[in-house]
Amino acid sequence: MLLKNIQEWSLLLLIFGVIASFGNWIGYSIVPLSAIPGMIVLILICLAGLILQHVLPVNIPSVAYIGIIGILVSMPVMPGSEFVVKWTQDINILALATPILAYAGIAIGRSWTDFVKLGWRSIVVAMFVMVGTFLGSALIAELVLRMQGLI
Amino acid sequence: MADQIKGIWKDWRLHVLVFAIVALTEWIGVFSFTVGPGVVLLLPMLYAMLIGLGLFFTPAVKKMQALNAEPLIVLGVTLLIAKIGVIIGPSLPKLIEAGPALLLQEFGNLGTIFIALPIAVMLGLKRESIGMTHSVAREPNVGLIVDKYGFNSPEGRGVMAIYIFGTVFGAVFMGVISGFLATITPIHPLSFAMASGIGSGSMMAAASGSLVAAFPAFSDDIIAFAGASNLLSLSTGLYMSILIGLPLTEKMYAVLTRKKQSNAEIGKGA
Repeated sequence: MLLKNIQEWSLLLLIFGVIASFGNWIGYSIVPLSAIPGMIVLILICLAGLILQHVLPVNIPSVAYIGIIGILVSMPVMPGSEFVVKWTQDINILALATPILAYAGIAIGRSWTDFVKLGWRSIVVAMFVMVGTFLGSALIAELVLRMQGLI
Repeated sequence: MADQIKGIWKDWRLHVLVFAIVALTEWIGVFSFTVGPGVVLLLPMLYAMLIGLGLFFTPAVKKMQALNAEPLIVLGVTLLIAKIGVIIGPSLPKLIEAGPALLLQEFGNLGTIFIALPIAVMLGLKRESIGMTHSVAREPNVGLIVDKYGFNSPEGRGVMAIYIFGTVFGAVFMGVISGFLATITPIHPLSFAMASGIGSGSMMAAASGSLVAAFPAFSDDIIAFAGASNLLSLSTGLYMSILIGLPLTEKMYAVLTRKKQSNAEIGKGA
């Protein structure tokens, strides 16, 4: 069961990785050959996190494990971290985001019928909700960072 | 997601379409234009989403592809988080130094209440406005409102409306406003980077992506701060809503509607 999942995850991550590597080439001029080591490192970190989430009995989302593993293997005290950092620098983060949103666009077509039923007032309020959280957080961050003299 | 992803790798129609969308949009590149003193940045990921959405309505995409695309979003986000992790690792000391700001800016998420609730009430929305504005309405918050008021309550309809908007247009909207606000306000891009982590992977990617495109010199710091803030929002968001957001929204709603109510009561009482 777990083995079957690992196989499926690996294949999907690989497909995603190939698509992102081509985007990385077209958009950010990094040839796929030099992006391969970095992409493999990222895929391995994801697999480790997905497997941990599956094996451990606690209910923590896999992205939390993946984030922590990523931080651990790239910390300067970790042996070999300089390779992790150097290789993954060849993967532009925007090149990973583009295929995510391409898949998301195809998937959310299913929510479209719900979307068109929203009234104009809901849409106005939704925009202010997003601006509200964004500006609220930015203002507090600005205040604290300035008090600390960090910016 | 364990069982649902069996055999999705074989959906070649889906992967080839996404490959074509990515190749086209990355080839177009970033498009930017100025609006007054600000800059609006349109990133390849934004058109990628709109093209994907458009294709849903053509025969190229069947219901099958739309369903199969969902687990790929989840796996794509894991790759994004891994990438953010390896950016945070080397700059961890810097992140710890900025720890107080990172923690405190989480309270800024309550800005939804102070900015959006008065507008919702002004537009004549009733208790829907509580569900709409108590938070940014991602999955945990929807769960909280549905659990507390029920799915078919006004509050439940309200939170679903914002959830649907966020799902369909959240990333596009955040991508556009983050670059624009960062270029028209004196607020530092790193403060906006922290603000980008609102608890949704795609919205965070879009908002911080625009910041990176506008301020490339800060690119690694922007990603590290946005990623750390997003992880914090994911882990604290629900408790923030339970302990502060929702009670505060209820109270503010009562204050904002008191005038109308007391007028009505006087009328009745007499």
